[in-house]
Amino acid sequence: MSAVKEKKKQSEQSTETLIELCSVRVDKGLFGVPISHILEIVGDARPQPVPLAPQFVGGLVHYRGDVLTTVSMRQLLGLPQQEELPDILVLESSQGAFGLLVDSVCEVLKVPSTDHEPNPSTLDERRRELFAGTYKLKDGLLVMLDPERLDPMRLGAAQAA
Amino acid sequence: MDELTREFLIESQEGLDRMERCLTDLEERPGDTALLAEIFRSVHTIKGTTGFLGFKRLEKLAHSGENLLGLLREGKAEATADVITGLLQLLDGLRCILKTVEASGTEGDGADAELIGRLEELQQPAQAVSAANRKANARKAEKNADSALMSATPLQAPAVAAQVEVKPEQVTPEPAKEAVAHPPAGADEGRVQGTSTAESTLRVDVSLLNRMMNLVGELVLTRNQVLQATAGDPNMTLLSRRLDMVTADLRESVMKARMQPVSNVFSKMPRIVRDLSHTLGRRVRLQMEGQETELDKSLLEAIKDPLTHAVRNSLDHGIEPPDVREAAGKDPEGMLRLRAVQEGSHVIIEVADDGAGMSVERIRNKAIERGLLTAERASLLSERELLQLVFLPGFSTASAVTNVSGRGVGMDVVRTNVEKIGGKVELDSRFGKGTTMRLRIPLTLAIIPALIVRCAEQSYALPQAALSELVHVPESNSNSAIEWIDNAPLYRLRGKLLPLVFLDGMLNPAAGRNAGSARSCFIAVLDADGRRFGLAVDGLNDPEEIVVKPLSAALKGIGLYSGATVLGNGELALILDPGSIAMKAGVTMNADEDVVATSDTETLLDETDPEFLVVEICGRRAGVQVSEVLRIEQVPVSRVEYIGYRAVLNFDGQILPVEDSGNLLGAAEGNPEAQIVVVICREGNRHVGIAVSQVLDVARGADIFEAGTHARAVGVVNLKERVTSVVDLGSVAKLPVDMQTDAGEWNQMAEAVQ
Repeated sequence: MSAVKEKKKQSEQSTETLIELCSVRVDKGLFGVPISHILEIVGDARPQPVPLAPQFVGGLVHYRGDVLTTVSMRQLLGLPQQEELPDILVLESSQGAFGLLVDSVCEVLKVPSTDHEPNPSTLDERRRELFAGTYKLKDGLLVMLDPERLDPMRLGAAQAA
Repeated sequence: MDELTREFLIESQEGLDRMERCLTDLEERPGDTALLAEIFRSVHTIKGTTGFLGFKRLEKLAHSGENLLGLLREGKAEATADVITGLLQLLDGLRCILKTVEASGTEGDGADAELIGRLEELQQPAQAVSAANRKANARKAEKNADSALMSATPLQAPAVAAQVEVKPEQVTPEPAKEAVAHPPAGADEGRVQGTSTAESTLRVDVSLLNRMMNLVGELVLTRNQVLQATAGDPNMTLLSRRLDMVTADLRESVMKARMQPVSNVFSKMPRIVRDLSHTLGRRVRLQMEGQETELDKSLLEAIKDPLTHAVRNSLDHGIEPPDVREAAGKDPEGMLRLRAVQEGSHVIIEVADDGAGMSVERIRNKAIERGLLTAERASLLSERELLQLVFLPGFSTASAVTNVSGRGVGMDVVRTNVEKIGGKVELDSRFGKGTTMRLRIPLTLAIIPALIVRCAEQSYALPQAALSELVHVPESNSNSAIEWIDNAPLYRLRGKLLPLVFLDGMLNPAAGRNAGSARSCFIAVLDADGRRFGLAVDGLNDPEEIVVKPLSAALKGIGLYSGATVLGNGELALILDPGSIAMKAGVTMNADEDVVATSDTETLLDETDPEFLVVEICGRRAGVQVSEVLRIEQVPVSRVEYIGYRAVLNFDGQILPVEDSGNLLGAAEGNPEAQIVVVICREGNRHVGIAVSQVLDVARGADIFEAGTHARAVGVVNLKERVTSVVDLGSVAKLPVDMQTDAGEWNQMAEAVQ
């Protein structure tokens, strides 16, 4: 993890405006997570379902001696569950670590920070709360995800409210 | 706060704890120079370090205490009760300042003048002051110091200060000087002794230990997977066996690192007993046993309050004032006994007094009066059952209870606290003779024994602490065995109706069960916080020692789970919380059920005797040690298979030899409907089954000696006043096994048998 941070620091110093993102795919959409928040990527995981848990919880996974709660991106976006096993991004937020279930993890991209634009005002409220703006790539848009906003504790609190 | 100050705080705290212990001992042995030296050392170390760190207030206070202690050490003063009270107040004063330092980083500003004055006054006996004068002074001073400790109101302060101003002049500086001159020698001694322990011990952050525990859990899991993956490779067998052993050792060592002796909590008791017995006018002798017994640190913290509560109760309501005791023909000095002893995977902590005990009659009346019991019901209860009533929340509120029996105030709180950490509380009281309270605490919190149950294709862990028995309901008679009143399923357990909760229905309300759906299931009879109910699950797996992992806050809200764990096969399992399940299902706690639950507990025989399961085999009674029994199964005779002439049972691919000494299988031959009861026991590294006609009871057994000798009879035991033979599990012949896979263990066992 610290190695990743090191690298990020270096890249920040050398090319001030480039941001490293890990791109992930959920259904047809392309999303990005800042690489500095990713602890690990686990492929083809089989999360253990938790009966009676809030909708957005994708189950539990075992990660280095801890049991992590995962958040299902599909559930959050209101998409139907897919047959194939999801990939998990183990993310770090201020509240601790959690897992994010996505369809598949793609490549790491470097994007200039100038290509960032905030959420469009026409986006529905639910998505506006989850997304942190977009990056304009050559062949499409990449929606930024903010680990802080996806933290299960925060989502749980939001749901309760 | 910097590292140095933190170190100082920890060290001083420990020093003061030591000093407290020594002071209460000193009261019994006033002349003990070793104790005095120890106390002196504690205070001196604090003084030395505070001067260095610049805590002027602490230094001054410690200095005045040191002077007094110096005199005591040189034999120029006597350790009278007054002096000890003064020193204890010094201790409290120092603690109080340390607490302020810990909280704010500064000493705060309080007036210690009174306390210092008092300590200086106590040095007077060193001079030739008349005894009368000394007493009067001491008494006055005590009053002052007491008020100083209670609250140093500004009004009182000047008056005392004035007194203090006069006193120092009376004290010749000489003894004080001497006392100051001596410390270096004493300190050196202390340091020499200190280093020897300091070199062999190390302070470790608890969070680091927790992390190590986590990592070991992870390692155990990886080991299991390695073992599975390399099972077929003979080259790897040796390596993986070694890995297996090292991991087990490592896990044990890390667990041990978290253990602390019970004396950490016990050591607070002499002071509490001393202070309380003074206030209450009791004379109490405190006896402590088994202080070296070890317990997980977090558990030790958790029992501190319940234990203090129990000790207070004993002094307040148990032990009578000296005159009352004398009138009753008892020793005017009461006896309070604290005992800790390890029993299997539990630590038993006992608080016993020889006080007034509880009047069962008055408990009974009170319970009826409070509407907790009907009069008819109450008349049927045994003494022991009635005693358990004091744990009911309704029973232990308000002072009314104090009038009833003396006991009961906050007893439900004691029970709740102990049960929260997976422990149990038992109570035994004889009217006029005394009361014993027994806390049964699991060894560790982080790792608990649990039964793994299956439900809707998932595994769940059910803590063994709440589990009292398991019942299998086969598909064939599940319709008749489970009865319904509207939507409430019930099971008749030994003639009593047990409310049932279907786990699948609870976890997935949409797929709820109702009458008529016939499916085989297992009923786990649970006893959670006095609520007794049956939890119906689809299947059972082996019991496992599980490492409890906390759940994220987002899932805590569900309430049914107390955590999660990783099973040996790598699968995750949620840990069920029986208390919340009962609450959610609406299982109520009432006196009636509570009593039923506790009446099963063994009668008060000598606790050290082993427990036996009493079984009947073809009209003969036999005993099987309960600690060896894994479970009891009722199986249809048709399930029994044979290897040659050996009867065996096949459980999920594992073969279990069945010992049938009473030829029950032969008798049941030709009757396909017949069922036999098999007691499954542990014998060395294997499991064996004993076919029995029926299971009768559980009893504690005492040894029998051959008449005229002290030779213990082998193979028999005295159970319920009847000589009963003990089933010799070792004699059950072994099954032929593949020597390759299990050669090591097998050879070991063969040797043991020979």
